[in-house]
Amino acid sequence: MRFPWQNHESDLQRELAHHLAELTDEFIRRGHSPQEARILAKKQFGGPEQIKEECRDESPWAWLQTIFQDLHFGLRQLKQTPIVTAAVVLSLALGIGANSAIVSLMNTILWRTLPVPAPEQLSLIHWQAAGFPQHLADGGAGSMFRDGVTRVADFFPHTAIESMKKAAAGRASISAYSFALPSSVSFAGRPVIAFNRAVGGNFFSTLQVQPILGRSIREEDNTPTAPAVALLSHYFYTKFFASDPKVIGQILRIDNRPYEIIGVLPASFYGLIPGDSTDLYSPLWKSSEFAQSRNGNIDFNNPRSWVVQALARTNPGNTTDTLQPLLGAAFAQSWQKNREPKPGETNPILRLDDGRRGLGDLSRDFRSPLLVLGALLVMVLLIACANTANLLLARATARSKEVALRLSLGCTQSRLLRQFLTESAILATLSALASIVVAYATAKGLAQFISNRDNSAPLPLTIDLPMLASVALISMLTLFLFGLFPAWRASRVDTNSALKEGSGSLGSAARRWWTPGRLLIVGQMGFAIILVAAAVLFTENLRNLSSQDTGFDRGNILVFGLRPGTSGYNKDTLPPFYDKLERTLASAPGVESASLATIRPMNQGGWWGNIQEVGKDKKFDVAINAITPTYLPIFAGKLKAGRNFTAADMAPKAPKVAIISEDLARQLDPNTFPIGRKIRHGDDPSPKAESMEIIGVAPAFAFNSMKERPHLLWLPFETQKEEATVVLRTKANPSALLPSIREIMRQLDPNLPLADPFTMEELVARNLQRERMFATLCGSFGILALLLSVIGLYGVMSYNASRRRNEIGVRLALGAVPRNVIWMVLKEAIGLTTLGLILGAPAIYYGSKFLEKELFELKPLNPILIGISLLLLASSATIAAWLPARRAAALDPATALRQE
Amino acid sequence: MAQEKSDLLQGTLDLLLLKTIAPGPLHGYGIAQRILLTSQEVLQVQQGSLYPALHRLERKSLITSKWKESENGRMAKFYSLTPTGRKQLNAELDQWRRYTNAISLVLES
Repeated sequence: MRFPWQNHESDLQRELAHHLAELTDEFIRRGHSPQEARILAKKQFGGPEQIKEECRDESPWAWLQTIFQDLHFGLRQLKQTPIVTAAVVLSLALGIGANSAIVSLMNTILWRTLPVPAPEQLSLIHWQAAGFPQHLADGGAGSMFRDGVTRVADFFPHTAIESMKKAAAGRASISAYSFALPSSVSFAGRPVIAFNRAVGGNFFSTLQVQPILGRSIREEDNTPTAPAVALLSHYFYTKFFASDPKVIGQILRIDNRPYEIIGVLPASFYGLIPGDSTDLYSPLWKSSEFAQSRNGNIDFNNPRSWVVQALARTNPGNTTDTLQPLLGAAFAQSWQKNREPKPGETNPILRLDDGRRGLGDLSRDFRSPLLVLGALLVMVLLIACANTANLLLARATARSKEVALRLSLGCTQSRLLRQFLTESAILATLSALASIVVAYATAKGLAQFISNRDNSAPLPLTIDLPMLASVALISMLTLFLFGLFPAWRASRVDTNSALKEGSGSLGSAARRWWTPGRLLIVGQMGFAIILVAAAVLFTENLRNLSSQDTGFDRGNILVFGLRPGTSGYNKDTLPPFYDKLERTLASAPGVESASLATIRPMNQGGWWGNIQEVGKDKKFDVAINAITPTYLPIFAGKLKAGRNFTAADMAPKAPKVAIISEDLARQLDPNTFPIGRKIRHGDDPSPKAESMEIIGVAPAFAFNSMKERPHLLWLPFETQKEEATVVLRTKANPSALLPSIREIMRQLDPNLPLADPFTMEELVARNLQRERMFATLCGSFGILALLLSVIGLYGVMSYNASRRRNEIGVRLALGAVPRNVIWMVLKEAIGLTTLGLILGAPAIYYGSKFLEKELFELKPLNPILIGISLLLLASSATIAAWLPARRAAALDPATALRQE
Repeated sequence: MAQEKSDLLQGTLDLLLLKTIAPGPLHGYGIAQRILLTSQEVLQVQQGSLYPALHRLERKSLITSKWKESENGRMAKFYSLTPTGRKQLNAELDQWRRYTNAISLVLES
């Protein structure tokens, strides 16, 4: 490789040679012999090196050359201490990279605004009330969450949205939308379950999102008589249609009804929430959910049917404060008159919530966990910075002799500073590059933890470069601060005494107990114990939850959903279909038994209600599921008492019967199983409400989640239900059986897609997603913290020990036993570690209190767990200090002293 | 070469160099010779100042250089003025004249 200044060098050489040659000629012309002439010329010319040196300083490449020299020397220095270099780069890369990933995730979930123009104009329309306003609504579809003590919900009657739209005319545009619902979609013979969000005709004009292909949904599409149309999300367009623009204008079947594909949304519009799983959008009036009026009571013209959500975009010059009373009045007018709230309930009050970040579900779920993770990661970063500082400090002290030598040989202060700056810059560049890799890898892993569906669009997680840069800046500052320390100290050092000072003697600074290195070690240990404790805590929590006895055999169960009611079956054809389905699957090879249920097990959500014994007041909250007779044997084996359902119980006109879980039975009657007693739904207070006879008591088992154990109420499966969950008990590995099950289902009905097939183990794992995320992340943080602080401790201890070689040599020569020397070194490490652990303890105490209150049901101050963490850290610290201590004790006193 | 020599005033070397190559490209040895001849062997530019000065002027883009065959068949590095160099030369000449004028006015008063 040739550098520009090397060209310059040879150029200079040739130029001076030419001058010399001309001069020689001149002397020859004056009558000297060639040999004489050459000598005379050289004499007159003087030292060429001196000229060259001066010309070099004028070279346009002079600065580059110095930098290159610095780089070269710096790299050689770093290569001489590969472990220190690697430790610095690695700890900074992990610290910076993981932090940027978490911050990017926080940005995506907590702070990023919707990818639409002027998102600050958007509001989400909610209502708040104490309890559900039963006097106004028969049912709701949407989400309800707690905001302090009040309940906030996002669902409204469609009529209310229409009158709000009129009331806000000119001031804001209001658009209705619905929940994204799983639908059976088929195109060109390929069926798939896709999420369809029904939206008002002005939804996309309100959001100001333009399709990249075709056209958007317009007001005229959103009438009961208009032809049905569908707009594709970019993700669905690429995944299911392979980005084929010819699909525009073609017919897609959604829940077995034809829709014309009219356009494709831009990739930048991910939906109403990061990681929105919506695959396609269709007009509200065409939404099969409403148009078909499945339950009979969902009707846009019925003000008691609260089934749509709405968002508003205020026009410029208007605020939500002026809008709120208008919309509130319109909302109240849509209610039925003369209805008074029941005791304990209130009329709902309309409120407008900040909508610039879209729907708040993810941020509600993940705000506290992310903030906790962020705080833990900041500690990791601090440890990494302390480590860097420590290692650089140790190295700097080791180089004080070199610095003194260079200064005494005439090296200028600025050149010295530049040299150390260059070394820091090399380290910084290496760490920055490595941290980018770490950031991307971590972000990818994190996004997977938070994705909510198997094949949905991934969380639009991008590493925010300014974010990465700002995190990097902090660490780089540490790097430069401590990297330049030796140069700074050199400016104060008396070169003479530094040179004379032997390698083994102690500098005056080392005699103080609070050297920067020691303070850093104490701080590091304090943070490390917090992180290790968190790691142990969350790992133990996950282990507890996932190894919890679910009450049934989790292996060999396969679960998937079917929606035959939206794929061409009706109330008459559904019962025989379900019957055939169950029999076909039960006789399939590898399947032990097959059953159907309304609610998917281990799926967190469910069908909730309360029951009371007829004639008694006490109500019990229950999780309900309607099942076929084969269901309970798969999970619970034999019943505790009474009988299981039979096919006859599933007939529409059959007498109402129920099976309850054992814990509920004990609540109803602690002495005997209440077989034959009557219960009824507590929601329906009318005396006419149908009662059910308890025919059996089943063992209790985990039904909806690993974290709660509700009372269970089992009802016979309704064979006219439009959708069902299939649960199979297989003979062997259920995921291996899935392809053959798919084939059987294809033969049964090729137009019926399987929705989200999972094994029970997978469902359990998804159920503990958040806990797993915490355990995995905190586990890695803990290991990282442990590793970093141990490296730091080792570095400082072995450095200190080598500085004290002389002293140790004298001690050994004077008769000290190696054990005493080991103890002398260990004592310091143990003291520093203990101090750090003591300082970290209050943080663990208060931190775990906070976690207990905010996040999880865990018992954080388990003394055994704290003990394990302390032991882990203390033992690794001892090992880290013991290695250099043993080396010091093995010192040959004669060698150590002779080095002086 | 036993003539009396004058040390060059600080800053005048650049002016001399620019002026010397103003008529046409010249190599380092040629420049030194030309200055020696035109100054009637009073001003002898030492190699130790000549080349750093040339390189400095080149870095400032007042002159450029090119390798060419010289009159006696050797490859030599020829320096010539750039347009900026010519402007600089004229400016410095003006300044020099004003300066020497002023000096002589004082000295001969």
